[in-house]
Amino acid sequence: MRNSMKVAKWEIKRNMKNKTFLIGLFLTPIIIVAFMFLGTIFGDDSENEVIPTDIYVNDQLNLLSDLQNTVNQAGYNWNIQPTDISEAEVEDVLDGTENTAYLYINEQSLQSGNVPVFLSEEIDSFFMNQVQILATPLKSFQMQQLDLSNEELAIISSQITFEDTKVEESADDLEEQGSDLPATLSRLIPGIFAGFIMLSIVFTGMAIFQSASQEKKDKIAEIILSSLTPGELMQGKIIGYFALGIIQTVVSIIILLPVIAWRMDIPIMEYLFVPELALFIFIAVLGYLLFASIFVGIGATMADVSTAGNFQGFVMMLPFATFIFIGPVLSDPSGLWAQIGSYIPFTSPGVLILRLTVLEQWPWIEIIISLAILIVSILLFMKLAGKIFKVGILLYGKNATPGEIWKWIKA
Amino acid sequence: MEVLLTVKEIEKSFKDKKVLKNITFEVRKGEIMAILGPNGAGKSTTIRNIMGIMYPDNGAITFHQHNGKGIPRNKIGYLPEERGLYQNVKVMDILLYLAELKGYPLDKAKERALMYLKKFDLEGKEKVSVEELSKGMGQKVQFISSIIHEPELLILDEPFSGLDPVSQELFKKEIRSLADNGTAILLSSHQMNLVEEMCDRLFMIQNGQKVIYGTLDDVKTQYANFKCTIYGNNNIADLERISHVQRVEQEGDTSTLYLDKDVVPNTWLKELPENILIQELKINRISLHEIFIDIATNKNLIQEEGDANA
Repeated sequence: MRNSMKVAKWEIKRNMKNKTFLIGLFLTPIIIVAFMFLGTIFGDDSENEVIPTDIYVNDQLNLLSDLQNTVNQAGYNWNIQPTDISEAEVEDVLDGTENTAYLYINEQSLQSGNVPVFLSEEIDSFFMNQVQILATPLKSFQMQQLDLSNEELAIISSQITFEDTKVEESADDLEEQGSDLPATLSRLIPGIFAGFIMLSIVFTGMAIFQSASQEKKDKIAEIILSSLTPGELMQGKIIGYFALGIIQTVVSIIILLPVIAWRMDIPIMEYLFVPELALFIFIAVLGYLLFASIFVGIGATMADVSTAGNFQGFVMMLPFATFIFIGPVLSDPSGLWAQIGSYIPFTSPGVLILRLTVLEQWPWIEIIISLAILIVSILLFMKLAGKIFKVGILLYGKNATPGEIWKWIKA
Repeated sequence: MEVLLTVKEIEKSFKDKKVLKNITFEVRKGEIMAILGPNGAGKSTTIRNIMGIMYPDNGAITFHQHNGKGIPRNKIGYLPEERGLYQNVKVMDILLYLAELKGYPLDKAKERALMYLKKFDLEGKEKVSVEELSKGMGQKVQFISSIIHEPELLILDEPFSGLDPVSQELFKKEIRSLADNGTAILLSSHQMNLVEEMCDRLFMIQNGQKVIYGTLDDVKTQYANFKCTIYGNNNIADLERISHVQRVEQEGDTSTLYLDKDVVPNTWLKELPENILIQELKINRISLHEIFIDIATNKNLIQEEGDANA
């Protein structure tokens, strides 16, 4: 293990001194940021920064000052004003306005737990998330009003939601339930985060290919192997490139996070560090280990990346197999395809992260089966990769055929 | 002298072909032991078995003064036949990395690296990227990397291949001085003239089998018999009748007579028959080089000797 750490340290040092790696390290997040800005240049929501949103509240419960306080505390750029316009008239008033919303707070809305919200056509896309904050003063008002009969307790425990009722849809969609947004975010953000970690360590891990086949090309493998065992060398590479992947992730996050936090008014940090994140990251790490062991084994069979045969090329494509499942999984996260995807080791890390992000109820049995398959596959592939690596790394200047690789595995 | 490494009766097969048969030898402290043989004789395979890059099917490899299992990797320096260096790193970085892998203290390694770079005419190259070095410079760096950690046993597989004569001399001198300082050295080569000048003992191998094993002097007295080369038009049958002649090779007017081991040149010359035409005559010992060529081309120059001993 000590020798593996030396190899890992060397791989990290060697890459950190390599210009190509450094450029890639910073270019990746910068390109992402650039694309985000590109979006805002061509989009028109840049004005949102300046123009406040006008909130007209038809308040029959005298809660306006409470609402104002809450909004001030949250620091939203809202302009809250009272209004007498009734729900029937609101469509005509909203027509042609921008960044305007009408809230109807009355006994009826408190009873039903749904506060109707009418929005102008143009409005900050995150307004519906932000407006949920007004639930708190309303809830406390409800509490004050109630003597605690059974019926009232039931009302207290029910949630108040703000209902998105865009002008065009107002006629028929009044009753639609608002979604449970914070809960979604608390899965979505760690899920996206874990997906990002996995992508960046798997892509960095593809450099293991390079590293293993380069060792053959430079004919240094035998010199290295006079100091340590092939297993130690392989482990060192896997650990080293894992660390490089993490460095890539950290650099990306340091560059990306302030930009995201500035562009979007989501308290990312709050939603990021939830217990779910641990599982997501665990899955991401397993995904890395699986592909890293495959890459390091296959890399040892190639004389040069440019001479990769069909077989090696096919194996290199394995991480992309997950993309096949994205469509079917998103359309039905518990469906047959989603399940198949979670039981195939090559696609399961990606599919699992995707499903757990989308699904509200986690299918624990499926998760456990899928993780078990994944872990067994990792152990299996590590063993196979070890065998292939041991022979392949010394086979200078030649690509191994699948037949030969099979022979090494059997040996 | 103290024995550092014993190779005992090792055998190795690739598929059905036996590439090493019953190879036995030892390497002692402070000596240069050479494994000689033509290409494909099994030199590198033997060395790879010692280094644990392959494992023998039978037989044992023992590192003396090493308690515990396995190979004392950090006490061995190894220069493989197929060798190279990482291309896009600095000379000093790679030397320190290889020293670190051997568990050698870094400050000492740095000192020794600078000392050897200077010795090998590479002073000031420590910050140069490996890809900018010439082939010969690269080989010098590889050689330094194999000795930087002060190994007790140094294994060099074809250390002279691809070197110019100046560098060859430099390497020879350095290898000799390492041996004089107590390092046990095992080297393989097919360049007989180089080895003849420097090795203490040798092991000659052909088709995976031992052909000769012993000290250089022993080998010379035992195998390097006299041979007599005569220019002149002679009948091969006449030549073969001369006493002490083992066999005769004739090419045009040149005949080479291979003589017995116990021939005394003075008396033998006096006893040469009158009827033999001599325009020129040369008598000398068979060189290691010739023994080597004979082995490589499978003539049985010393085969009888080997059989007689067996």
